[in-house]
Amino acid sequence: MRDTRTPFLLFAPAFALLGFVLLSPVVYAGWFSLQRIEYGAPTGYAGLLNFRRLFDGETLGATFGRTALHTGLSVVLTIAIALALAVWIDRLRPRVGFIVQTIVIVPWIVSTVVATLLFRWVFVNDIGIAAYLIGTVTGGVSGLLTEPGGAMGLLVVVSVWKRIGYAVIVLLAGLKSIPDELEEAARIDGASGWQVFRRITLPLLKTPLLLTAVVLTLSNINTVETPLILTGGGPRDATRVLAIDVYERAFAIFDLGSATALALVMFAGNILLVLAYVKLSRWRA
Amino acid sequence: MEISKTLRGALLGLATFVAGLAVTAAEAQTIRMWTFLNPAGNAPREKALAEMIRKFESANPGVKISVEPQVWDQMTPKFLAAHRAGNAPDIVWVVTDLLGDALKTGSLADLGELFVNKWPAAARDERKDGYWSRCAQGNRVHCLFHSRNYYGVIYRTDFLKEAGVDPAKLSTWPAFIEAAKKLTVKDASGNVTRWGFGQQFSEDRADSQMMTSLMLSRQGDLFDAKGGAKWANATGAEALKLQTDMVTVHGVTPRQAVTWSAEDLYEQFAAGRIAMFTGAVVRISTMQAKVGSDNVGFMIWPGIDGKPHSPAVMAGWAVGVWSGGKNKAMAGKFLEYMSTGESDKLWVEVGGQLPGAPSTLASMKAFTDLPANAYLTTAALGVAKYGWIPSVEYGVGGYRQALNKAAQDVIVGNVDPMAALVAAEKRFNQQNNR
Repeated sequence: MRDTRTPFLLFAPAFALLGFVLLSPVVYAGWFSLQRIEYGAPTGYAGLLNFRRLFDGETLGATFGRTALHTGLSVVLTIAIALALAVWIDRLRPRVGFIVQTIVIVPWIVSTVVATLLFRWVFVNDIGIAAYLIGTVTGGVSGLLTEPGGAMGLLVVVSVWKRIGYAVIVLLAGLKSIPDELEEAARIDGASGWQVFRRITLPLLKTPLLLTAVVLTLSNINTVETPLILTGGGPRDATRVLAIDVYERAFAIFDLGSATALALVMFAGNILLVLAYVKLSRWRA
Repeated sequence: MEISKTLRGALLGLATFVAGLAVTAAEAQTIRMWTFLNPAGNAPREKALAEMIRKFESANPGVKISVEPQVWDQMTPKFLAAHRAGNAPDIVWVVTDLLGDALKTGSLADLGELFVNKWPAAARDERKDGYWSRCAQGNRVHCLFHSRNYYGVIYRTDFLKEAGVDPAKLSTWPAFIEAAKKLTVKDASGNVTRWGFGQQFSEDRADSQMMTSLMLSRQGDLFDAKGGAKWANATGAEALKLQTDMVTVHGVTPRQAVTWSAEDLYEQFAAGRIAMFTGAVVRISTMQAKVGSDNVGFMIWPGIDGKPHSPAVMAGWAVGVWSGGKNKAMAGKFLEYMSTGESDKLWVEVGGQLPGAPSTLASMKAFTDLPANAYLTTAALGVAKYGWIPSVEYGVGGYRQALNKAAQDVIVGNVDPMAALVAAEKRFNQQNNR
């Protein structure tokens, strides 16, 4: 008779340690968010007070909206551009493809802080090269960072640029895993290039596309470095996304209670996205 | 026989080694300190601190001052949390905005018991200024300021000289604005190559801007007795308009100021892109290292209503000993060493910042008479006569961000200054439960 308990017993210590490391901060944050926080430390049960404070000032809805706009635009553009690049690279000769891949992946491996600072120096003032060019061509001053629409646009550009390398690599791996004979068979049957892509390639890329979409969504929602360094959440809150709000509550206003509450709301959103990913990834084309 | 001798020798050596280890362990004492300064760094204040640590450690064998550099805006909240958790460092640098919170939690030990009460009365008395009063509670003293910051106008002396501007005559705002216009330079295609007056209105790493000086001159404070914001009034609106007119009317401050953090101003200044800017006196030594020691000057804000100057915000870092620490005596000893005349001179000469004791500066006349060091005398005058420091009775976290947001509203959104201040006041009071 096989002993079914032994494998579980052997795994138990590792799972316990992993569970402790992964879950204890969340459990602590959950408890912390229900406490009255004074001078950075819990002083007693406060119920949902910290969550109610999130609605003071009536700005949370707009912050959610901006987060959705930034994340939605960034994810859609990243996937669209990455897919086009991946298909193009897949058709290149191996040596050329390798060189292009290496170039495309560079933004992803550069530190976010460094990359964002580079963009900032290019755009932030009137002698930044991009701003200077725009100013010279238009005869005015570049408003990319000083106007709300321009600042959000630039934030999306930086987010897309930073993460496109990751998306290209995942989608390229997906493309490489599609058997050549499927596309060849379709072509023999008279399918055009677009039909092959839409009917064969795209459905078979479903899993890498979903994986990329979820990872990019989580990454864009949770990033604080890019908006903080690029725009500081301004001008006029135009780029104040949820992660910036958490940061400001914690380290500018020192309201650790509502900062933790908002971080937990974001965490719940992240969990929902992961669950959606798991559910969707089981879907069969 | 030979083996026995060798064995005995080896055992003796081992015993000596073990005994040595035991003695070292008994004497070794590590004092943990949280500060934003990294003694391994090259900034003037970092060099000064490193020198103090080196001297203290050599005078106290077995004592190690272990600096754990922190991100400045997160350090004090982190310390307060660590105090509750029982694992705070022995010495901590507390930001002025949160000093009241640190005092109310009882996280800072009484330095009177540790060393201040042993000082001669004259040594205590000469330190009794606005900074001292923020650290004192009754007969107890819980901290000493070791980074005395005063906000005013940092300027390029060479640019002002070139434009024929005498900084001593910029004692009114109209004179200041005219000078800023002279200092704003455009190239042949009309692009500005140098701005007359740099300001920063980003909420990221925000410093106090010029409007606060005008408000302080008329109101005496930025907050009411309960810590509520006192901005949405005629004085506040006039101050905000004067500040934003620099961008929208006079064209001496770039519109990009709405995206600039305090750090951007120092970078722009070091690059020769701005001639004057709102800056902190503690950063002058760093600027001098970048653009030449004779090329950086400092002035107190112009005055209003016939007064020679307007008050400026004072800030800084209050250094204290953690009340829950196990090494309070030695931590106090190091903090006392940081406050000696010898260390005070290091702060001035190497760190380029104001000393803790006025007598230190008075004793360094030959040093302060040098043109490159004149800013120290100016800042000392500002601290003594034209300074304001927030009360420790209430926290004021977020006020600079709220006022900068109001400036953004006016410049980018064309919002009326009074309406912008009403929103800023509401936001600050809500955030701080006032």
